[in-house]
Amino acid sequence: MKRVFLAVFLIGLFAVLGLAQTYDVASDTTWPPFEWADATGNLLGFDLDVMRCIAVLQGYEINIITYDWEIIFDDVGIGRADIGASGATITAERELKVDFSDPYWTSDQAVLIRTDSGLNIVTVLSGGYTVGAQVETTGAVFVQGLIDEGVNVTLQEYTLYPLSVIDLINGNLDAVIQDEPASEASATAQEELTIAGVIRTNENFGFFVAEGDPSGLLPLLNDGLKQLKELGAYDNLVRAYMGTDITKVEAAWVASIGLLDAGDVVAFAASLAELANQ
Amino acid sequence: MRSSCSALKGVGMATIWQSLELMIVKGLPNTILLTLGLIAGGLALGTLIAFTQVYGYRPLRWLCKGYEQLFRGIPVLVLILIFHSGLARSFNIQLPAFVSALIALALRSGAYQSQIFRGAIQSVPQGQMMAARALGMSKTKGILRVILPQAFRLSIPPWTNEFSSVLKDTSIASAISVLELTKQATLSYTRLAVIPGFGAQWTLLILLLVALIYLILTYAGNAALGFLENRLRIPGFETKGRIER
Amino acid sequence: MNESQSPPSSDVILRVEGLHKSYGDNHVLRGVSMQLCRGETKVIIGPSGTGKSTLLRCVNQLSVPDSGHVWLGDKEITSRYENINHLRAEIGFVFQSFNLFTHLTALANVRLGPMKVKGMKKSAATQLAMEELEQVGLGDKADAYPAELSGGQQQRVSIARALAMSPQLILFDEPTSALDPELIGEVLEVMVNLAKDGMTMLVVSHEMGFARSVSDEIIFMEGGNILEQGPPEDFFTSPREARTREFLSKITELYGE
Repeated sequence: MKRVFLAVFLIGLFAVLGLAQTYDVASDTTWPPFEWADATGNLLGFDLDVMRCIAVLQGYEINIITYDWEIIFDDVGIGRADIGASGATITAERELKVDFSDPYWTSDQAVLIRTDSGLNIVTVLSGGYTVGAQVETTGAVFVQGLIDEGVNVTLQEYTLYPLSVIDLINGNLDAVIQDEPASEASATAQEELTIAGVIRTNENFGFFVAEGDPSGLLPLLNDGLKQLKELGAYDNLVRAYMGTDITKVEAAWVASIGLLDAGDVVAFAASLAELANQ
Repeated sequence: MRSSCSALKGVGMATIWQSLELMIVKGLPNTILLTLGLIAGGLALGTLIAFTQVYGYRPLRWLCKGYEQLFRGIPVLVLILIFHSGLARSFNIQLPAFVSALIALALRSGAYQSQIFRGAIQSVPQGQMMAARALGMSKTKGILRVILPQAFRLSIPPWTNEFSSVLKDTSIASAISVLELTKQATLSYTRLAVIPGFGAQWTLLILLLVALIYLILTYAGNAALGFLENRLRIPGFETKGRIER
Repeated sequence: MNESQSPPSSDVILRVEGLHKSYGDNHVLRGVSMQLCRGETKVIIGPSGTGKSTLLRCVNQLSVPDSGHVWLGDKEITSRYENINHLRAEIGFVFQSFNLFTHLTALANVRLGPMKVKGMKKSAATQLAMEELEQVGLGDKADAYPAELSGGQQQRVSIARALAMSPQLILFDEPTSALDPELIGEVLEVMVNLAKDGMTMLVVSHEMGFARSVSDEIIFMEGGNILEQGPPEDFFTSPREARTREFLSKITELYGE
């Protein structure tokens, strides 16, 4: 009897091991609070931890790799990486290259200005001012849309978000438009900047895979996301990452990650949220 | 900086130090590997092309000239993207980012280096080959024993320039996600930009640090090549000139 | 063409027949023929641009003649069936601009040929090289680089380099024309000794003193042809052609007796 049980167990074990797949996750880790690298090189962020949690829930391994934002859709589209998790808004244009999961986050665009500029969200976007945005972002597309409609505003594009913030601080720009969480992080970190207002664009972020989903990952991702929400872990991750002090989150992550490695998604998210908000 | 930051000064230095450490430990090896790899590749290509252009048959010479024009005329970024994204999309050949960068940069460096060597070979006075052949040496022996050693020495100064140049070109590889020095720096300053007490201005410091590292690398490389040049120096050659009248 | 007697053919080291060479429109050699026997030293003189150097270069094919034949002993150099490298190894050439290998020491210069062309072992080649350097009086300069040597010294090393190959004959292309006057003597001295030791030499030069004292025959070239040739005593005292006389008087003016 014991031997039969052992045999079954071993077969089951090998079956599981055999099925333990590893997928490469591409992410432009320069965008707190969704994805970034901490001081010792750990890659963390809302997107990345959602990915990690789903992976635990669905029983596969992931390998997170830093990819450059400008070619990330090309790269995932042709299968260099299996999944893209990089704060990507679902757009029709991008759908030509990749397939998106269900939306996992809704975001608006926020407009960042200098606190002492005396401008508000309406004036800065129509008074002949210069607005900065990162290339290939929905924020840039929004401003370009305004320009195409004849609104009196100028767009200046940047390869990286912080570069636009520098220009805003030293006066080369009058505003920066970026997804709300990133703008909030900047406003919190720098006293000279304020959020002038939020533009309700209701953008949806999605994870993405190669066109046609050759590895059959989207069902896994969508289901995993649903589970995450049902478990309450999703809300905890939001609490942990949105609007918190970045150094606290980093410390919280280091302290909590062991729980996720052990397979406990709920405890991990709870611990992260707890410690990040202390 | 605001008063709130002075309390963070200790934390600040530690953070900066950590960023620096990360750049050096994670980014620097790739930069060095990429530089050395592409220079070696460029050297092999460059010498081959140069010799073919000086001593080869006309159709081969024509090919070499074409290669030179092609790879010197295309901007580095475009070249790297062609090998990375272009090949992948059009021919389904997916090269790892490091390899794409290496190949593209090596091909380009080869084009510049072939110019250097060709110039050096042609600087060796005609009389040298004549004397070699007059002794009964075949053309090949003459090239190997007389032209090559001299051309090599003449190549070192312009080659030092090429080294400095390609070292900086490796930063372009960050565009295709190679985790070299510059890319590592962007990871650092995008993070610092949102840490209370720091902010986007610290971008400048990080970039200055990276620039400093590149400067040190360039200096070290030049010093090493200068040392080599000295070791190989032919006594009296540079100062006296060819013929004493 | 004024040979008093025909030497036995086995003694003819170099034979040139009907050489023509043009550079573009410039017909430099217009059918030159001559010969050189073992142990003979002949000096070619004449105005500049008259094909003297070209003649020498055609002998060892540094310039390829348009037509004509050259024989080294019984081997035809101009034939395409002969290995030119092997034949060149038998002919020494001393250049006006020395052409020492600048990246090698004097010793290395001299032993390169024996080692890499004749396949001599390094130790044997080094010994041979030292002997040749001693012979030209530069044994103590073995480790000097060409740039560290005076012109005269460089030329002497160049002669040693030619000698080390044990050539059947040595061609000298205006060996002293690039030298400062006070350095000419040391080179001529070496050449005189060589001639006395029985080396077969064909020399293009303006050095009349050397020509008079050591050559077996003077060859006067002009306009791509050999105008006159003969033993030095006859040549200098009673030249036949008017052009020869004209030329001689001119150089006596410049060079003295």
